[in-house]
Amino acid sequence: MKKPTEDNKKDNRFELLRELLLEDDREKFTALSEEIIEKEKLSKRVQPLVDEKIEDLRQKFPEYFGDTITETIKVQIRDSQDEVVEALYPIMGKLVKKAIVSEITKLSDNINRTIQEKFSLKQILTRFFKGKNNDAGVVLQEVFEPIIEEVFVIEKDSGLLAGNFTRGNIADKDMVSGMLTAIKSFAEDAFSKENQNLEDIKFDSFQLTIKNFKTIYIAIATSGVLNSEFRDQLADNVNNLAEVILRDRTYLKDELKLNALIETYLITQN
Amino acid sequence: MIAKKVLLVGNFGVGKTSLIRRFVLNQFSEDYISTIGVRVSSKVVAYENQEIKLLIWDVAGTSGDEKIPKAYFLGASAAMFVFDVSREETYLTIDQHLASIKALSGLQNITIVGNKKDLLSKDELEAVLAKITVKIDLITSAKEDENVEDAFLKLTAQALK
Repeated sequence: MKKPTEDNKKDNRFELLRELLLEDDREKFTALSEEIIEKEKLSKRVQPLVDEKIEDLRQKFPEYFGDTITETIKVQIRDSQDEVVEALYPIMGKLVKKAIVSEITKLSDNINRTIQEKFSLKQILTRFFKGKNNDAGVVLQEVFEPIIEEVFVIEKDSGLLAGNFTRGNIADKDMVSGMLTAIKSFAEDAFSKENQNLEDIKFDSFQLTIKNFKTIYIAIATSGVLNSEFRDQLADNVNNLAEVILRDRTYLKDELKLNALIETYLITQN
Repeated sequence: MIAKKVLLVGNFGVGKTSLIRRFVLNQFSEDYISTIGVRVSSKVVAYENQEIKLLIWDVAGTSGDEKIPKAYFLGASAAMFVFDVSREETYLTIDQHLASIKALSGLQNITIVGNKKDLLSKDELEAVLAKITVKIDLITSAKEDENVEDAFLKLTAQALK
């Protein structure tokens, strides 16, 4: 058997010594290493869940926190009204001023253009020969042109809609006809004497003109400035329309046919 | 589509508006009824393979003395009188109410409905019905959605007669 040399003996002792001295450190190192590996494993498992939750939170933030944020803002505004007013006032003032200036500029341009057009020699001569001497009326009519926005032909007693024309988008025209009839009946019952009818209702920039006949009434909503010439023309056209409807009652049973008739008599002719 | 005007009448608080709210979703603001005494709602119903648009005039409840514009009753094809089974004063003078509605509207038949069934027990309800002299068409509960649809279908049938 080979005897260990002196150097080998020294190496073995050194190894032994090292093991004795570093045993604690090695254990700590192993524990730390296991902890890090465990954290990495956990992180890999948890990361998708966290990402998913963050995405969910991002997408449904208003749903989760909307009420709380609204409430917080409400409380903040309520508790510091003066500060809010001070902060908003200059901005709102500027916005209002800007809007007014813009509208006045448009109006001014419109008036200038109309005056230039209407006060040309040709137009003055035309008005002179047609006998229309009210220059202000001509300008006003051009700037604030009257437009028929809605027409309702309604059965007088029941309030049922027979036919209509609309430029807007009324949600339920039958319901509007019913309520209009109810309001008309209420006003006539409350304020009128026997056989008097409600004829005009004004609201915002609209005017509702009501023409009453024996079994129907026709309500026309207009915007713009209604001069006497427009009113006369409208009254004539409404009377002509009513005459056709009342002579041929089949119009009251056929909404599409009546709608076409309304367009012919009131929209294309006015 | 055929359109018919139908009326809902009866004392204050009997649940006419609740019945309509249960039956119809789109309606005007609550303010109208207190201001002019009527509110019009519309509902398209399917009846015997045809569609009928009901324009339901919810005439404000009265305690008997208030004046309702006669015009509200004109041109109606049917009417429903609603009373509250839990309040005697809403059905005690039912005969007079019906006569008044018939005179104003010109209608011969009126659908009679007792509402708020949910507030009474079976025995209490039977006792109430025994006191009423006219034939009741339906007992409803707007709160529990019981017989509401049937009541309006009966009204539709009457409107088409």
